[in-house]
Amino acid sequence: MVHLHSVDGDAPAEVPLADVPLVADTARTIAHRKPQLLSGGSVDDWGRDPQFIAALRPLVRLRWHVSVGGQVHLPPTGAALLVANARRLSLGAVYSSLALAESIGRPVRFVGRPDIAPLGPLMRRLGGLLRNADEVACALRNGEIVLISAASTSHPRHAGWVDPDLIASAVLTNSPVYPVATISMRFGRATRVEIGPMVPRRHRRRGPLAEVELAADVQRRVQKLLEELGGSNTGVGAIDWLREG
Amino acid sequence: MNRQRVLVTGMGADLGSRVASLLEAEPWVGQLVGFDVDPPRRRLRRAEFHLVDIADRDRIVELVTKFNPHVVVHLAVWEPSTRAVPADARRWTEQAATAFLGAAAECRALEAIVHRSGIEVYGRARGAPTRPDESSPLHPTSEYGRTLAMLEQRAASVGRRVGVSVGAVRLASVLGPHVPSPLGRLLRQPIVPFSLLADSPFAVVEDIDAARAIVAAAATRLAEPVNVVAPGAITGLQAALRGRRIPLATIGPEWPLLRRFSNLVGAPVPDHVLELMHRGRLADGARAAELLGIRLTTSTPEVIDRLHAWDSVMRFTPDRSVA
Repeated sequence: MVHLHSVDGDAPAEVPLADVPLVADTARTIAHRKPQLLSGGSVDDWGRDPQFIAALRPLVRLRWHVSVGGQVHLPPTGAALLVANARRLSLGAVYSSLALAESIGRPVRFVGRPDIAPLGPLMRRLGGLLRNADEVACALRNGEIVLISAASTSHPRHAGWVDPDLIASAVLTNSPVYPVATISMRFGRATRVEIGPMVPRRHRRRGPLAEVELAADVQRRVQKLLEELGGSNTGVGAIDWLREG
Repeated sequence: MNRQRVLVTGMGADLGSRVASLLEAEPWVGQLVGFDVDPPRRRLRRAEFHLVDIADRDRIVELVTKFNPHVVVHLAVWEPSTRAVPADARRWTEQAATAFLGAAAECRALEAIVHRSGIEVYGRARGAPTRPDESSPLHPTSEYGRTLAMLEQRAASVGRRVGVSVGAVRLASVLGPHVPSPLGRLLRQPIVPFSLLADSPFAVVEDIDAARAIVAAAATRLAEPVNVVAPGAITGLQAALRGRRIPLATIGPEWPLLRRFSNLVGAPVPDHVLELMHRGRLADGARAAELLGIRLTTSTPEVIDRLHAWDSVMRFTPDRSVA
């Protein structure tokens, strides 16, 4: 509802926003468009700031043009743990979580923000969580989608070791685990994020073997996804190496 | 469990008197007796109130044991820089815990203790969880957090010794129109300092929601800690902008000077509020619905909006004409 003031000074009338003529109150229309960053806004329960992310989006697009695939595998509601490969210094978790969130319309939180200002608070506003099993478990218990990174590698198409302690958060909260392959170019914007189907648990385990086996399976699935994605193929090896790093 | 005898400590304060007025309407509550060093802030119809000096332990023990409560709701907690300077706040909270919980332990009818605590008990050390839940370890990093952790420890010890259930209601910073809160005072200043490098998020809870949670904890005989936190979060800068205050960006070294100045103008900034502005303070309140059967309706941004909307002076009309 909005309050429309008459030019004669009569009492303001309450009118549904949808019924307000587009040209009736230009100032109000502009006020509606005023960035929420300047009017305060708020952050979510984990400190993620949707207005800040929206403001930052043009800058992110300058660096990465992300195409997302396989999002149909993700549940529309409820928790999920995504495990992505990470190339050293590629900020894969950041662009993947932002692109996935935009694609599926739900916040995706990435794990691995530092706890030191100003980088830590900045990454928290982008949806970052600490690399801590309790923190991941707490987010999963609250029905969040959490993206963790495998150990970073120098090769863009190698999936690194997956930490079983973080996988244990999904095992203990009974959350599904999905592999995610990410490919980005060192000197280009083209970036791909591909989500694979849920990784099933091969054995019913009561103890810590559950997360150890699941972590190894997830690493294999991520590697397979990376191989299926292929790499840069211009026909000139040096150019391909430069593009992919 | 009909017609239970309920004892409320700290009944004079805003939260205590709110809890008392809600307890008066509860069908399971029979006799309701309260204690505090100040008279109640609102009219109570059924409750019997005793004005006591918390240093007068003998009188407290005599009154409490004579009443012989089934449930003790212990709210006699002084947040630093609310109604007492930090040193007094800690001393009085300790004295009250010793006197009231000690006296309660002597009561044969005692079945449950519910006490106020706060999410400050989790602390904000480097690497501390962003949103600790009830299972997170207690590692307080502020004076108020340490006081509350001491209170939890003492209540748990009494509970173990006499075999009664003990529930700790860990509240986020409580804000309300009459709540003396250092955070509320700071955010209502015309100029609100915030940490430029961090501007960390925090959550609060409205006083009426906090009171409802405590009453629910007493009714359900809560036997474990529970976080009570309004949904959503906000940062210092966002709070200032929402209240149309002038945000003052700070980096860190100027805070001691700002604290002194703020103290002079009537809004002292104790260390737990300073910590909140720098490192934020969130907690997972998801279990409150499960353990207490209540859902907090007012979100953190709404509480902050109301904080800025509350009048400095509120005028009440009398119930009836007396002259």
